[in-house]
Amino acid sequence: MPKMTSLQRVLMTLSLKEPDMVPTFEIIVDKKVRDAILPGASYEDFVEYMDLDAACYYDWAYDRYETVDEAKGIIRDKFGVIKRWTTEVDPMPVEAAIKSEKDLEKYIPPDPDVPWKYEAIEKAVKRLKGKRAVIATVVDVFYVVNEMRGMANHFMDLIRNPGLVERLNEIVLNYNLKYIRNCIEIGVDIIWVTGDFASTIGPMASPRHMARFAIPPLKAQVNECKKHGIPCLKHTDGNIWSIFDMLIDTGIAGIHPIDPGAGMDIGVAKARYGDRICLIGNTDCGALLTMGTEEEVRQAVKECIQKAGKGGGLVCASSNSIHSGVPPRNYIAMIDAIREYGRYPLSL
Amino acid sequence: MAKYEALKQAILTGDENIVVSEVNKALKEKTDPQDVLTNGLIAGMEIVGKRFRSGEMFLPEVLLSAEVMHKGIDILNPLLSKMGRRGVGTVVIGTVEGDIHDIGKKIVALLLEGSGYTVFDLGVDVKGGTFLEAIGKYKPDVLGMSALLTTTMPHMGEVINLLKEKKLRSKVKVIVGGASVNEEFARSIGADGYAVEAGTGVELVKKLLAKK
Repeated sequence: MPKMTSLQRVLMTLSLKEPDMVPTFEIIVDKKVRDAILPGASYEDFVEYMDLDAACYYDWAYDRYETVDEAKGIIRDKFGVIKRWTTEVDPMPVEAAIKSEKDLEKYIPPDPDVPWKYEAIEKAVKRLKGKRAVIATVVDVFYVVNEMRGMANHFMDLIRNPGLVERLNEIVLNYNLKYIRNCIEIGVDIIWVTGDFASTIGPMASPRHMARFAIPPLKAQVNECKKHGIPCLKHTDGNIWSIFDMLIDTGIAGIHPIDPGAGMDIGVAKARYGDRICLIGNTDCGALLTMGTEEEVRQAVKECIQKAGKGGGLVCASSNSIHSGVPPRNYIAMIDAIREYGRYPLSL
Repeated sequence: MAKYEALKQAILTGDENIVVSEVNKALKEKTDPQDVLTNGLIAGMEIVGKRFRSGEMFLPEVLLSAEVMHKGIDILNPLLSKMGRRGVGTVVIGTVEGDIHDIGKKIVALLLEGSGYTVFDLGVDVKGGTFLEAIGKYKPDVLGMSALLTTTMPHMGEVINLLKEKKLRSKVKVIVGGASVNEEFARSIGADGYAVEAGTGVELVKKLLAKK
């Protein structure tokens, strides 16, 4: 089969057709890892150097924050959530934006049209369009509302104050839909909705509550993408077996990561759902990629491709991100193994 | 109906009115407040915990159950203090330095509170010194540490060594948790136990305090 462009490879994979090779890309490759492999390079230089099939622009990495306490690293995000910087990529929520319904009276939603938000994506599209997939991520409504209300309050709202949940859902959804439209207009190829729906035990709320409060906003975002012929992917950690069908029914083209840390087997996912959705994952970035040997990483990639690569429909990726704890040699081993074992027709 | 059946059922369904009326009814009948706490309220939350672990109940329902259970505890607390009775136990919990993952830790904290423990959640990215300060301040029965990343797990061992240095190790049980933590690691750093997920964490705390 003639070699495809990365973009062709990715789009073919998301259409559940067999491309020339198993594609690979990540939501995040931490700067520490990137700099160790290609010192001083830009993200786009890195993507091209590693021959990754997509460049991904993580929504929150391009936000601007209001400083609340510089010495303590306390900031306010665009939805009004008070957060604290730590050593990782995302600041952590420390105080809710909406402590009571009264707070909504004076609430001003963020502006999705601020031009600086899109500068990195515009440059990426100029450089990579047509060659590699340009992906814009957006954080899912359920996750953002959970931060806006605080975890405990949000979960109890699902039972005691569904009206408030719906009002907050609408605020965040309106922002997300406009952000998605803006990204598509600039020329991104794919939208990736992040924000966990589950933990190791299972979904954050019952399937009934997820169906009522989490799924409809996701479906609305997917529909916005589909209007423009753009595939929409979904990321969620955790054990999602009990909500897998309703996730697929939203129309998402791919699901990430089929979390091995939550006991999810990508081979089982392939058998059950491989004819309906592209699987993205699932090399473990907890113990394996951080503490495993290069050979162990290679074997895990080989196993992943064996289990889920047949006929296409697999993007080989980590189980969350290539975070700062991943030794660069292991990420390189992962990529090399994908290239070695992932050529179609598969010989595994 | 078996004793406390209506109370336990009300905790399961998150019915505050019935929890309050059942607790008051028991006290009117001169029931020992400790008995109401242990065999009524906490026993009810144990059923909630079991159903959460088995996937029959989810966080929103668990939180609601914990909240109404606390309404019952609020009635009993003044009586228990007067009688000089100790609460169920105190736990200090936090995600270790350099790590920001906290969903599992938050769930454990909520379940422990729901089971009647006093929980002080130090948050994420908690330095060793902060854990030490909290132990001095709150005098917990159990210290719980969480880490998702294998790069931050070593901090758990450092905290345990700090406790030994300050001669505090024997005063507190230490449990560790997080997706990458396992029995072998917990043993190697000298922890008293490990929990792979939140429901097990609560059971572990109970077991450790029962041995005290």
